[in-house]
This record gives sequence, C-alpha cells and structure tokens, in this order.
Amino acid sequence: MNLKKKTKVLIAKVGLDGHDRGARVISQMLRDKGMEVVYTGTLQTPHTVVKTAEEEDVDVIGLSFLAGGHIPHTKSIINLLNEKKLDNILIILGGVIPKQDIPILKELGVSEVFRADSGVESIVKHIQENTRCNPTRNS
Amino acid sequence: MEDKFEKLAKAYKEGASRLKTWSGFEVKEVYKPEDVEGIDYNKDIGPPGKYPFTRGIHSDMFRGRIWTKREVCGYGTPEDVNGRVKYLIEQGQTGLNVIFDLPTNFGIDSDHPFAEGDVGVLGMPYNSLVDMEKLMEGIPMETVSMSLIASSCSAPVVMSQYVALGKKRGLDISKFRGTIQNDPAHHYYSGYRDKFLPIDVMVENAIDIVEYCARYMPSWYTMNINMYDLREQGINAAQEIAFGSAFGIDYVKKSLERGLDIDSFAPRIAFYCSAHIDFFEEIAKLRAARRLWARIMKERFGAKDPRSWKFKFGVHTAGCSLVPQQPLNNIIRVAYEAMAAVLGGVQSLHCCSYDEPICLPTEQSHRLALRTQQVLAYETGVASVADPLAGSYYIENLTNRIEEEAVSIMNEIEEMGGMIAAVKRGWYEKEIEKASLEYQKEVETKERLVVGVNEFTIPPEEDTKEEVHVTPPESITKQIANVKKLKETRNKERVKKQLDILYRMAQEKEKRENLLPFIIDATSSYATIGEILGTIRMANGLSYDPLDIVKPPF
Repeated sequence: MNLKKKTKVLIAKVGLDGHDRGARVISQMLRDKGMEVVYTGTLQTPHTVVKTAEEEDVDVIGLSFLAGGHIPHTKSIINLLNEKKLDNILIILGGVIPKQDIPILKELGVSEVFRADSGVESIVKHIQENTRCNPTRNS
Repeated sequence: MEDKFEKLAKAYKEGASRLKTWSGFEVKEVYKPEDVEGIDYNKDIGPPGKYPFTRGIHSDMFRGRIWTKREVCGYGTPEDVNGRVKYLIEQGQTGLNVIFDLPTNFGIDSDHPFAEGDVGVLGMPYNSLVDMEKLMEGIPMETVSMSLIASSCSAPVVMSQYVALGKKRGLDISKFRGTIQNDPAHHYYSGYRDKFLPIDVMVENAIDIVEYCARYMPSWYTMNINMYDLREQGINAAQEIAFGSAFGIDYVKKSLERGLDIDSFAPRIAFYCSAHIDFFEEIAKLRAARRLWARIMKERFGAKDPRSWKFKFGVHTAGCSLVPQQPLNNIIRVAYEAMAAVLGGVQSLHCCSYDEPICLPTEQSHRLALRTQQVLAYETGVASVADPLAGSYYIENLTNRIEEEAVSIMNEIEEMGGMIAAVKRGWYEKEIEKASLEYQKEVETKERLVVGVNEFTIPPEEDTKEEVHVTPPESITKQIANVKKLKETRNKERVKKQLDILYRMAQEKEKRENLLPFIIDATSSYATIGEILGTIRMANGLSYDPLDIVKPPF
C-alpha cells in the first residue's frame, strides 16, 4: 500500500494570460478536498512551471488557459518534463479549450481537459484514478 | 418507465429553486406599497434626464437615440480587424470597439520572445503607428465613434497613436468622438501587481490623458472604468458598483490634485458595466449605479455642471455566465442580459457571442450578437419608453437595497484610504476569492441551478458541433515580421531623439509635465509600444523590459 504524502497539485498559468479566477477557485476547491495545492500565479514560463513542479515534487500539474496559448505552452512543458524524466506527473488542463484541440493535447500527453462546466468532483475523481496517491488515505 | 413518470410528477410540482437574487439578496413572495415607503420620487428617483438620474441620463432615452451597438472586435493583424470592423459596419454596427492582444496590453512588442503564442490571439497587436494606420484604413476618424479597449500601462501609447494618426491625416482632433478605457488600476487588480509599471506611475499617466483630452478633445471619453472585469472575477452586483465607483473617486481625486476643475473632466468619465443573468437585479443595479454616482459627483465633489453628475455606461453581457455545453443556449442568456442592459438605460452595448466559452467569435456568431441587439432595438418595443420599470415595488426596493449595500462597502473602502489602497493591501483579492469560491460551491451543491452545467446536461457526444474561429497562423507570422522590418527601416535617429526627450520628461519628478505630447511625438516617429513604455520604465528606475529579456535598442 502506498503511504505517500497527500496528493500534491501544481496549478499554473503560463504566458501573458491573466484570467486566473478559475485557477484560484480550483486551487481552493482541491485544497478543500484534502489535496496539497501550489498555485504559481500568472506570467509563468514553461521553465518556471517545470522547475516548481520538480522542487515541490508534485503529482499533478494543472494548467489553466483562457487566452488561446494552450497548445504551444503545453507542448513546451511536456517536452521539458520528458527531458527531466518527470513524465510520471499527471498533466491536466482547464479553461477555454476548443473541442478540436483536445485530441491534439491528449496526443501530446495531457491526461484530461476540463472546461467551465466540469464540476470539481470530476477533476478529483480523475486525479484519484490516475495518480499513485489518494487524497483520502491520510485523512 | 415508472421512474420517468415519478420524475415527471415531481417536476410538475416543482417550485422556484433559489429564493435569492444572484447576489444573495433574499426576495419576498410579493412586493407591495410598503416596500417602497420612504422613497421621495423627486429626490430619489426623479424623471429621466434629471438628477439623480435614477431613470436614465436623457429625458427621452432611446426615443431620442438608440444605444450604440458596439460589438468588441480584435484578432490577428490590424488588416484582419479592419476587415471585420468593416463587415460589422455593413451589418449595422453603430460604433467601433477594438480590443488589443495580450502583448500590447502588457506594453511589449509582437517580436518579444515572451509574446509568442499570444500575438493576435485575444485581440489585435498595436505595436506602432503603422498598426493604427492599418486598423483605421478607409475609416473616417471624424465621423465614427471609436472605443479603444486598452490596459492600464498601454493606454497612453494607444491614445497617442490615435491622436498621431488624426494629426497625420490633417484632421481636427477636437471633433473626435470615442472612448479610451484608461483605468490605471486595472492591471493591478487583475492579478499583475506592479509587474509592468508601478500603479502610481500608471495613475499619473492616466491623468495625463484626462488633462490632454480635457484641453484638445472635448468629445472624447477620457476614462472608462472597467466594472465589467471586476464583476467577471466573481463578485456580486453591489460590489461591482461599489468597487467601480470607489476607483472613480480615486481617479477624480488625482485629477483634482493635478489642478483640474471638476467640471472640465467629470462629464467625460464613463463606466463599463456587466449585465449578468439575474434580470431584475441587473436593472436595479444599473439604476442604483446612476443614482450613486450622481450623488457622489454633486454632493461630495461639488460638481456644478449637470453633465458631471451623469453616470454614463457601456455594457458587456456577462461572459462568465455562458456555458460551453449546448452553446446555443448562450444565445438565450445573452438576449436576456442585453434586455436588462437596455431596461437599465445603457448608452452602448456589446453582446457576447454564444461561442465565447469555446473560442473567439466567428463571423457568424459575431453577426448573431449584433442581430440580438437589432431585434431588441427594432422589434421588442423596449426602446419606446424611458425606464419602463420605474415604480415597480420590486425594482425600486431592489434599487434601494443595492445602493445601500454599495454605500456600506464604499464606507469600508474609504476607511482603508480608498480603492487603490485597498487593492494594494490585498483586501480586494480576498473579496473576489471569497465571492467566486462561494459561487462555485453553490453550483457544485446545486443550490444554484445552471442549465448545461449541473442540470439538464446531455452526453458530450450529443452536443452541438462547434465551429470555431481560428486566428490564421500566417497573420501572426506576418505581424512579427512587420514589426521587425519596421525597426530596421524607420529613421532610427529620429526615434532615438524622441525617446531621449521622453526619457528626460518622464524622469522629472518635481515639475512633471504632461507626458502625452511627448508620447505622441515618439509614436509619430514610429517608436513602438515596447520602446515607449520601456523608456518610461527606465525613467522610473526600472529595467527596460518588464520581463527582463529584451535589451534597450538605443
């Protein structure tokens, strides 16, 4: 049985997109569900996100996009994670993401894409089913 | 089958799901004369066009002139936007409204390494006068009403580009009509803090616009306080008008400190409000906002000119109320919100496109948003009577409650030293976090029902096929190449000379002159937004590039 720490999630905003209401709300709601959450704030680069993920030893990276830069930025982040052999981190996305971009993102290695109508429960469930840790185990 | 009938029987007997307004005001079963007791018609409501303007700022409202149909537009290159703007004019749009891409909003050029991925995506790039020339190609600046949606740091440059183009065309800029957003705290409260320019420098630059236009462009709205973006962050109706008015008070105080007479600039202050989904509450909010601002300007600041008392506003229907699933439902939401804006006495209106939670508007969804306004204006009859809901026990009661709540919030802000001070100390951030979290929890627990989110959903595979707008990648490549080419081909000596002058002027702290004429000169010499704001940054002891990547070119 894995007695690893609580699930640790990094919520990140990359590029110049400043719409971070969703990122903040999700951060708080995942905390309420017993996870440990680090929020980067806005204006991050793919490098700073990956560096933070490594330093904080996170299980999940949640990227939030509302301004259209989701494909190039996600691609850079996943490439950097692969270079650093951090490919066991679960990558999820949220925000305004056109449906036809979802297969492209999944092909890149994104595990799931959530939109404004996805409830927090579906996000928690996805994280529980796809990471090695379980937020309820330590509670 | 039995289950289905049980569901039907239950549904048949269902009552209203939530007995509060969107903002949480408890509502009664019915409103009666006692709910409006104590209201003095002449003092608190008055006829349309008369203080305190509760019923509207004009006596004849839309009979005299229908609101300006001002759909926001911006993507790709300035040429792309010029094409879309002309398309919207052909379709019956009555005012222009152009939004800038994120790099422009942050005052960096399209060729900045950090701009990659954001050029031409959320709006159009305004690097230099060339972009303004291309945007306005074939558009008569003396006859159109232009709205420039700019961020706090970019506003003085964008305004200067518009003025510089007018001068280059040999036009009389005093005839120009339009609006610049120019809300100097906007960046700060949008989560960027002092990353680009310190808030106090942005406020001084903003007052430069107010002062310059008060002198040379009397028909231009010099400040458009963005309540809409405040609301989109999750706050409620009373907070929206309290925070927006409190920002207005701070800017008015700064303008007065500059030595301006209140009536020389107050008539040119405007507001950009949200129209959210709670129909009656939004109408009441807009009526309360008008009364609140009139009282502030007349009683607190002693403005004498009745035009200074008028709360003039544009409305953007609530993007955050739209839902990605079953996107056509958003057409209905937008129509209700637009009607609330009109019944609330709006001056200019932008209707969201139904595909907003999915992508930027396509030509078809943009046209439909405009048609929503046209159906309202010409078919529904709502434009025929000024403030038709006045005197409704419920509307008047709610108008009072929202104003009272807003005043109480504003007193709290006043104790903290004003809205800018409240934002600086992190109070505002806590307020929005509290509000948006509470909303999300109510949705998760189904205390609030949202169609297509927590009720009446359909499996994703049954959902409408989405046609999405895609900014052509070649537009972005072209824009970046154009900026690089401009930097190589312009008269570099001239650019350097103008930037040197701007640097010296911006450095001056004791007897600071209005920077706008120097920014106009710099932009006339084809200095870019990155260069102009970089120069102002350096004059304030900061690095040239807010992101510390690009070095000063001269």
